[in-house]
Order: sequence, then structure tokens, then C-alpha cells
Amino acid sequence: MIALLSGIVILGGVIAFLITSVALVRRSERRLGPGPEESGSPVAPGQTGAAQISTFLDRMTAELRLPAADVAEVRAELADHLGDSIASLEAEGFETERAILEALGRLGPPAELGRQLRAAHQSTRRLLVGAGGGVFAAGGGFVLGYLGGIALALLGFVAVSAAVAILAAVGLHLPGIFGNDNGATVNSLLYATSIAMAAAIATRYAVRTSAGLSRHAPGTVAVFWAVAGALVFGWLAIFGMRGPQSWPSVGLELCIPVVAVAAAFVRIERPMPHVGRWAVVVSAISLVVLVLGTIVVNAGVSSTSGSAPLASLIVCSEPDQGTSCGQPDLHFDAVAPMAPARWLPEGTFTGGGSGSDPASGGTRVDDTIGGQGLSYWSDVRFEAWHALPMDASSPGGIDTRYSAPFAVQAAALSGNDLAAVFHFERLRDATWWCVVITAVGPDGHRYRLGDGQGGNSYFNGSAWDWLTAPQ
Amino acid sequence: MSGRIRTQLLKGTTTLLVLTVLRDGELYGYEIAQRIIQRSSGAFAPSEGSLYPALHALEADGALQASWRESNRGPRRRYYKITKTGLGMLEEHANEWAAFSLGMSQAVGGANQQ
Repeated sequence: MIALLSGIVILGGVIAFLITSVALVRRSERRLGPGPEESGSPVAPGQTGAAQISTFLDRMTAELRLPAADVAEVRAELADHLGDSIASLEAEGFETERAILEALGRLGPPAELGRQLRAAHQSTRRLLVGAGGGVFAAGGGFVLGYLGGIALALLGFVAVSAAVAILAAVGLHLPGIFGNDNGATVNSLLYATSIAMAAAIATRYAVRTSAGLSRHAPGTVAVFWAVAGALVFGWLAIFGMRGPQSWPSVGLELCIPVVAVAAAFVRIERPMPHVGRWAVVVSAISLVVLVLGTIVVNAGVSSTSGSAPLASLIVCSEPDQGTSCGQPDLHFDAVAPMAPARWLPEGTFTGGGSGSDPASGGTRVDDTIGGQGLSYWSDVRFEAWHALPMDASSPGGIDTRYSAPFAVQAAALSGNDLAAVFHFERLRDATWWCVVITAVGPDGHRYRLGDGQGGNSYFNGSAWDWLTAPQ
Repeated sequence: MSGRIRTQLLKGTTTLLVLTVLRDGELYGYEIAQRIIQRSSGAFAPSEGSLYPALHALEADGALQASWRESNRGPRRRYYKITKTGLGMLEEHANEWAAFSLGMSQAVGGANQQ
């Protein structure tokens, strides 16, 4: 009951926050609109002095650097003033041209007037309000953009899947670019797309809101928000977004700060298209689908392998002197020849396996030794080899295209337990792997002490982890 | 009074003059300048170049409220109206000015007597 009430309160708070931030953006955006037209044009175009008035107003306007509505208001107001002033001077007997010069002269240098008007509009109080409003609007924009991004990404995924299915139906099979990663690449692409959309909307909301509230031209405040967006979203994209990674997802994540910067500048003076009712409905449905899908997937994972990065752990065989669980030849001899039975009597190994290492998040492999132990052997180690995918059409086994293990760990003996931890989740190409225990025998040659155990995993970390991962 | 001295004396008084004439009702920029001249019998003629920055600064501070309206004699104008904040500011400026002018009169009067 308390959880339900908490959920309702949190949901209500989020909805109120979103409504407030959208209202704030819309209110601020009024200052970015076209503003009033110059109704009181003192001299008709083409008439004597019209060019001087226009030049005066242009020079004054160039110094304003205010939002468009403010610029239009100031310009219209001063044009009105000049009209009154010229009419009054003409009534006093001035010729039109002299009246214009006198009226312009009374206003002083146009650039100085523009600077003074700018200073009058851009007070410190308005600047602080603009900065605070920008941060608030950015928060709301991020949440809205994220929800919209989920909808966009899911629609894109459905469209691509439909296109692939149609092409397959007409006999055109596309290569599987995502590999056997249990959908990790697709998920990370969807996630990166959502964050990119969120970054774009957040930055754009921030620029337009802070410009309207602080009375600065959007192009001026855009520089600040572009830098802030690049730093915040750059950090998030490179270090903060942790999860399954691949080259496509890392590429998209690196685009996120670029998207934020572009959103701060591109067509920033133009009003944002306000999402319609259907966009909100589609976003809400997408969110519900995402939440339900996440619940279902998590329920499935928790019933099988928990939260370990290993997608599906497969034990190929117990060390049984080369029988390989009755499987066909899995090419373990490519690793090293099997140890002679006289140096490895039956009962040396009593069991083993692999799983997630809770301390480091890596993959822990171990073997339990009994009997005489490993008194004949030295330099006992676990070797991780690339393996073939294991599915209905292939039994898996060592990938014989490789002539060396891609990772090696010394076997640490603790009691009767030989163990090592591999960080496959930090290796880009460790999708399918097989770990084999080897050691140097009395004759100085390295032998395989058993067949091995395998599984598949995917890279799990940040974009920075991916970029700096060992080859 | 020479123009240069008058300009110096007017510096800093624009706010007080603007708020004073707007206490009597809404006016637009050109009217405000004319009203100041009328009320001071031509003694004060605020620089038009400093009038508008002063009006906009007062609006930013919440002392004035501006709105576009049709004027009695032609096109739309931007009318200014004094707010509650502006009335408070006017009282404060008027008191300061009274104290200043009293002190200045005494000082100048004293100098003349000597």
C-alpha cells in the first residue's frame, strides 16, 4: 500500500514537473517571437530622410543582442518616438530633412543607445532567473526527450525489422550485423537513440528558456548551453552509459554530445514544433511496452542466470580425459595435447564450473582437485580461447582459426579449489569462448588437463571502456 | 543656466522625473519627455537618448509595466504604467532628492552669505 502511494506521488511529481517545464518553455518562447511591427514609421520609404532613419535604427538594433520580440518592440517604440519628434519639429517650422536630423540627434549615437538599452534589459537578476529556468527546462526536456526517444527508437526498430522481414521474404537475406549477442547491440542502440533525443531536447529547451527569461539573443546563450551540453552529455555518453557495447552503439553514443551542440545552434531562433496528442499517446504506449518488456526480461533472467553478464553459460564438459561429454570433436587438441593418464590419474579433478564473480563482475572459472593433487605439474593456468557459436546447427568447440588463447590467467590454488577470474565483459571480441586448464608437465611440455568449459558473453561497460579495451 | 551644467544636474534625476510624471497616469515615451518639460516649465528636458534606457531599466526592475495600445492620436504606442514597486521607489527617490536639495541649498546659501 505504501509502495503504491509512493508510486502515485512520484508519478504525480514527475507529471507536474514535466507540465511546469513545458509551460515555462512556452512562456519564455514568447520573447523569441516576431514581436510588434513598426506601426509608426515616421517617413515613408523612398522619402527624404527615410534612409537615415532606417540606418539609425539598424545601427541601434545591431547593438541590442536581445530576443527577437524585444528587438522588434524597441525598434517600433523608437520609430514611434521619431515620428512624434519629427512631427513636432515640423510644427515648430523645421523642414522635414532638418527635423529628421534634429530628432535623430536628440537620441544620440545609435550604437550607444543600443548598448544602453541592452544593459537596461539584461539585468543580473534576469540572468540568474534565465540560468535557473534553463536548468529546470533542461531537466523537463531530458525526460520528455527520453520518452520521445524510446518511442522513436522502437518505431525505428519495428520499421527496420519489417524491412528485413520483407527482404527475407523475397529471398534477399541481409548479413547478420549484430551477431550472437542476445540482442545486446539492438538494446544499446535503442538506449543511445533515446539519450541522444533527450540531450537534443534538453539543450534546446535550455537555450530557448534562458534566452527568453534573461533577455539574451538565443545565439548568445547557445554558446554557453552548447559547452554545458557537450560537457554533461559528453561525460554521460563516454563514461556514464554503462551496459552492453558494440561498435554501432559506441559510435552512436559518441554522437550524443555532438547532437546536443547541434541542438543548441541549428535553427534555434525558430520555434520548436510542439508535439501533438498522437505523439504523446505513442510515447506513452512505448513507455508501457518498455516497462512491461523490462519486467518480463528481468523475470526471465532472474530465473536462469541472474544478473551475470554471461548470457548463457554452457559447460562443455567435465574434465574426463577427452570424452567431451559425448559431444563430437570440439577441437580441444588445438589448445594442447591431453595430459598422459600416468601424470593425471583419474580423480585428480572432481568438478568445476564457471559463473559470475560477485566481487569483480567478471567470470570466475574453477576446478576442484582431489586425490594426489597436481604434484607433477607446474605453471598451471586457465586459457581462454575463441570458440565457435553453439546453437542448434553447431556444437561449438574451439575456433581453430586462432592459434593462441586470447586471455590467460594463472590458476590460484585455495584449498582444493583452482580458480581464476576472466573479464570477458571487458574484451570486445570475446563473444563465444572456451576456457581450458593447462600446465607444464615433468617433460617440460605444456599439456591440457581437461577439456574445458565455455559460454558466451558480451562487452559490458562504458564507451570509454570499449575504446580502451585490449584488442 | 548653461546646457552643460543642466545636463550634469539632470544626471541621476531621470528616474525620479519619469516616476513622478507617471504617478498621474499612463503615458508613452514621447509624452513622458514632453510632460517632464511641461511640469518643470522648460527647466528640465531629459535627454531622449537616456530616457528609453531608463524606462526599460525601470520596467526590468518591476517599477513600470508596459503595454502596447492604440493611442488617442494615431498609431499604437508603448504605454508605461507605474506599479506598486514603482510607487515605493518614487517615494524613496523623492525623499533622497529632498534631503539632497535641502543640503545643497543650505551649502550654496551659506556660500552666498559668506
